Amino acid sequence: MITYKDQMDLFRIISEKIKKDVECYAFGGTAMMFYGYKDETKDVDIIFENEEERKDFINAIEGIGYKEWAPFDIYVPEKLKNKYKPLVFKFGDGRFDLFVKKIFRTVISPIMREDVFAVHDFRDKHNLRVKVFRKEHIVLLKAVTERDRDFEDILTIIRKEKNFDWQYFIDEVLWQTEHGDSWVLFDAEKMLRELKKYVFIEEKYLKQLYDVKKK
Amino acid sequence: MDKEEMLWKLEGLHTVETVAEALNIKRQSAINLLSRLKKEGYVTVEKHRKSLYKVSMKKQRPRDPGMFDIINKYSPNMKLAEWYDHQVHGEYGPEDALIDAIQTKSFRAILASMRLFSHIKDWPKVYRLSKEKGIWQKVGALYDVAKRFFRVRRMPRTYPQHNGTRWERLTQIKKMNFPMIGKRWHVYIPFNEYDMREVA
Repeated sequence: MITYKDQMDLFRIISEKIKKDVECYAFGGTAMMFYGYKDETKDVDIIFENEEERKDFINAIEGIGYKEWAPFDIYVPEKLKNKYKPLVFKFGDGRFDLFVKKIFRTVISPIMREDVFAVHDFRDKHNLRVKVFRKEHIVLLKAVTERDRDFEDILTIIRKEKNFDWQYFIDEVLWQTEHGDSWVLFDAEKMLRELKKYVFIEEKYLKQLYDVKKK
Repeated sequence: MDKEEMLWKLEGLHTVETVAEALNIKRQSAINLLSRLKKEGYVTVEKHRKSLYKVSMKKQRPRDPGMFDIINKYSPNMKLAEWYDHQVHGEYGPEDALIDAIQTKSFRAILASMRLFSHIKDWPKVYRLSKEKGIWQKVGALYDVAKRFFRVRRMPRTYPQHNGTRWERLTQIKKMNFPMIGKRWHVYIPFNEYDMREVA
């Protein structure tokens, strides 16, 4: 498992090894650690806007000892057929899941790009900029990736967050649906139904999803 | 009561007494509890006449200063409320913060960052960074505006003036304030004298 300190050390070392400035977005367990929701994670989930930045990042982590790994035991088979599946790199207990442009069918929306929770700059010769998505987006992406323990993490966020903006979450689901990700609607609905067993969520949010489904 | 439930109940600002009252425990037990939660990272303390404890459901990580911290440190009259948490892990000073502020294209961030011109020690660094980001024109214009209102660290004369024809905007606003400086650097300066007095 990767602890918060390991994660910060890793990013620092990567910033020493990259050949140009690299910008990426953190989600999943990585983002949860930046938020303070949890202390350790199995994997560092990152998405890049372009392939060149991912290549530079990969060269840097390969320099530390990470090796490419087949993600068969991590993602469900349908996800692995997707063109935008991640490249997975492993070293000891730690793992990097590196996406580019899309997380399966989900894109980085303008709101996700603009409205981030945090920006961490790791500066050496070059700058590694890690932008941390907002909690609502982290939950959405966890619903999309559907890995082991993703639901547990969603529950942790909802339980620890008094100000979770459900309308903001639904708006993002609707935006993604309008922009080509039809699966996000099903993933979000499935997640909300499951969540309702544990926490109170107003029916009006689910209704907005049903209304789009009917269309 | 489990830890999560307790943190949920306590989240916010507290003194030892309010914690004792909220949980219906003795004062010493509240001190012990706060000390344990502080070690675990759920509590930070601000020392005033009375200690104020900030309790959070999330772990409060140690921070490295970023753009907002540097601007607020050097801008005595105008403070910025950060709209995201910016942290820099590595060397970071007024020179870097000035460049980052200009790149936000935010009216308030750029205005508040004007005071950084009084604290620039490494002009070659500012020149190099701004050339890399393609914003030297904007830095030059802001410097000329800043030096009309307060003492600034002098820019070396060796640095070139802008000689292109392309006009640049600092923010979305296309205004011709400080026309002499604007024309000299080909930059639309969004703030006026009244705004500058707020910073000075």
